[in-house]
Amino acid sequence: MRKLMIAIAVAAISSRAGAQGALSLQGLGYPTGELSARAEGTGGGIADFDALSLVSPASIAAAGSPALFFQYSPEFRRVTAGSSSAKTTTARFPLVAGILPMGQQWTLGLSSSTFLDRSSETSLVRSVPLGAPGEIVNVTERNKVLGAINDARLALAWEATPALHIGFGAHVFTGSNRITFSEIFPDSSKYVSTTQTGRLSFAGFAGSLGLEYHFSRVIGIALSGRKGGDLRAQSGDTSIGRARLPDHYSASMTYDGITGATISARVAHDAWSSLGSLSLSGTKAFDGWDTGVGVEATGPRIMQRVLALRAGARIRTLPFGFNGDRVSEKSFVAGLGVPLARDRASFDFAAQRASRTSGGSVKETGYILSFGLRVSP
Amino acid sequence: MKPSSFLLRSLATAALFTVVASCSENLDSSGVCAVLCPAVGGDIQNITLDAVVLDTTVNSFSGLGSEPSLILASRGDTLDTRVIIRFDSLPTTFTPTGGTLQAIQTVDSAYIQLRIDTLAIKGGGPYDIAAYDVDTTANDTSSAAILALFRPDRLISSRSLARSDLKDSVRYYISNAAVLAKIESGARLRVGLQVSGATTSQLRIGSTEGGVPPVLSFRATPDTTTHPLTVNPLSKTPSNDAIAASHLSDYTIVAKGPPPAPPGVLAVGGFPPRRVYVRFDIPANIIDSTTVVRATLLLNQISNPLLDPTDTVRILPQLVLAGKVVTDPAKAAEIVADVSSDTVKARPGDAGLTSFEIAHAFSVWRAQKPDTLPRAIILKSLNEGNSPLEIRFSSSEDVSALRPRLRISYTSRVPLRIP
Repeated sequence: MRKLMIAIAVAAISSRAGAQGALSLQGLGYPTGELSARAEGTGGGIADFDALSLVSPASIAAAGSPALFFQYSPEFRRVTAGSSSAKTTTARFPLVAGILPMGQQWTLGLSSSTFLDRSSETSLVRSVPLGAPGEIVNVTERNKVLGAINDARLALAWEATPALHIGFGAHVFTGSNRITFSEIFPDSSKYVSTTQTGRLSFAGFAGSLGLEYHFSRVIGIALSGRKGGDLRAQSGDTSIGRARLPDHYSASMTYDGITGATISARVAHDAWSSLGSLSLSGTKAFDGWDTGVGVEATGPRIMQRVLALRAGARIRTLPFGFNGDRVSEKSFVAGLGVPLARDRASFDFAAQRASRTSGGSVKETGYILSFGLRVSP
Repeated sequence: MKPSSFLLRSLATAALFTVVASCSENLDSSGVCAVLCPAVGGDIQNITLDAVVLDTTVNSFSGLGSEPSLILASRGDTLDTRVIIRFDSLPTTFTPTGGTLQAIQTVDSAYIQLRIDTLAIKGGGPYDIAAYDVDTTANDTSSAAILALFRPDRLISSRSLARSDLKDSVRYYISNAAVLAKIESGARLRVGLQVSGATTSQLRIGSTEGGVPPVLSFRATPDTTTHPLTVNPLSKTPSNDAIAASHLSDYTIVAKGPPPAPPGVLAVGGFPPRRVYVRFDIPANIIDSTTVVRATLLLNQISNPLLDPTDTVRILPQLVLAGKVVTDPAKAAEIVADVSSDTVKARPGDAGLTSFEIAHAFSVWRAQKPDTLPRAIILKSLNEGNSPLEIRFSSSEDVSALRPRLRISYTSRVPLRIP
């Protein structure tokens, strides 16, 4: 009984520590998807084949040449709750990757991607009884969280045959949330405003396996899976929680039967609920499906460069719910790819409109622009 | 330019513009906080403690003559103060216009120029101001010895000023012969001013410490083309203490003051000035483990109608920085620092609850152990030494309901954890 009372007290206290101000930022934050701008442009359909996405370790076998890749993806978000709304701009650098072919059959890849981004800032005014009996004072709470959990992967891929690629990945999940919480009172001669700062650190490991097989010149299939290990959370030197990193499974299929076009589809499953035990406030995490379809087609020739045009759609469940309900995200995306420097570099761009709902009155729309630059030294 | 080239360049420009625009993050989504942001902060706890372990009235040690102004007052049986101005160095020679240096043999139009704070004048006049020769070899700080010299045979001059004569700057003429006699004998000129009148008379005069000292002026020749000589206040005694001598160049002495506050009553201000020293015993867990967002010292004001009961006195709480080794509250009350820029306005004639905000003191107390820095504050008048007004409060010796209390509002630290 005593343990139960303690548990209730801990839950009551810790439930005060969440104020993200957006549907997509509940819990540990927003999953960027770990996709490159090219894969995003096809709704994620080709993600398991894309060497620059941090999805399947087998995909790097098709890279062909050494490459460095860097991606910038700002999101312009609008959240609406009844008659209230808020607009935010989040600058993300979600993906950096390096690929190094070693001989004819082996390829090494080192990548880092934003796994869950929790950057947010909120401000709330509440009235509290303070001082003499009956005296009510408005206090402004400011809560700012910066940081993310990142996924760093070392991958090794083997090209068994031109049609069969196999890859292995070792993942380190690390990162931190820097939290600044302030309570600001109106009259500095009477009151002392307070500011608390904290840093939550995360560390965990996972392993992944990928397989890519081209049945013919027109059909290819790719499978990948990531098995999560423990994820530990610390505040300073104190351990504050432990959970399993979510297992991830996905399958992609491409169809090249139409000249100059690749049609792709993907389905993935993330066992996000394994992170639920990390939340002391009871924020519910949901297992979810991530489904996308897209097309990549040869576009017009501009300035002696053949552009690739892309379009896609995607629907997925975000990891953390709002008020106990799932948050789902529907995205429509268009993009293009431009070869540069005689194919020694390329620029990819994707523009995505994501609508997020949880079944209630809160709606969220995010416009994510992704700029990716690949360079082959 | 080809259309295709224009399209590509336009796309590149748009992309660059977007990149630059999005570099400036705006994460603030407060607009929807009513729905999406539960309150994070904890409840505020409000407690009122009988935390005062020592409260006492102490004299301000700022020293005789350190006040930024001089009070010349005659308030019937309540207050009688005199102003002393020392001119310990008088010129003995002068140079007339077009002439050569020569000894002073005549004095004409001798006066002391006084700077009057016209907003602080009390009474309707006339103001009869008498000047006495108060030069003596007695102890410098002996008020009794000086007061004994305000007698007819020491009278230098007397003048009656109407209320309308009291401007910002007033020339108070004194005896030419008296000045000349001091010059010729090489003696010091020490002038004591006394005011009297049919009704209340009180003037606030600028002092050396306030930057506007009284100045002696006279002509050494009737020839008006020669500039008059001016002499600033100067005290050569005590000869072994330059700071004290500087303060004594002009100062106020109290011939008769209001009766002191009765025992067991705390008093702020007055003449000579007093401060209230208050030491607390605050539970360590409040200082060490919580964040104090407001702390209010609650005092019961006692009416003191003797002098100007409706005038305003500004009282400033200050943090005592004296360590535990300073056991004398009077000395500890001189080692202080501001904790608030806000003063409390009080009127001597009022009575009832008065609040002093001291929350910022807790920030210092949190950083220092109580055995290093006692939890103490003082209350002082912002016009300390410039005003005879005194505000009185009940002390911890009074009945329980009227004793000083400390009301503290605090919040616990919020655990910054995973949501």
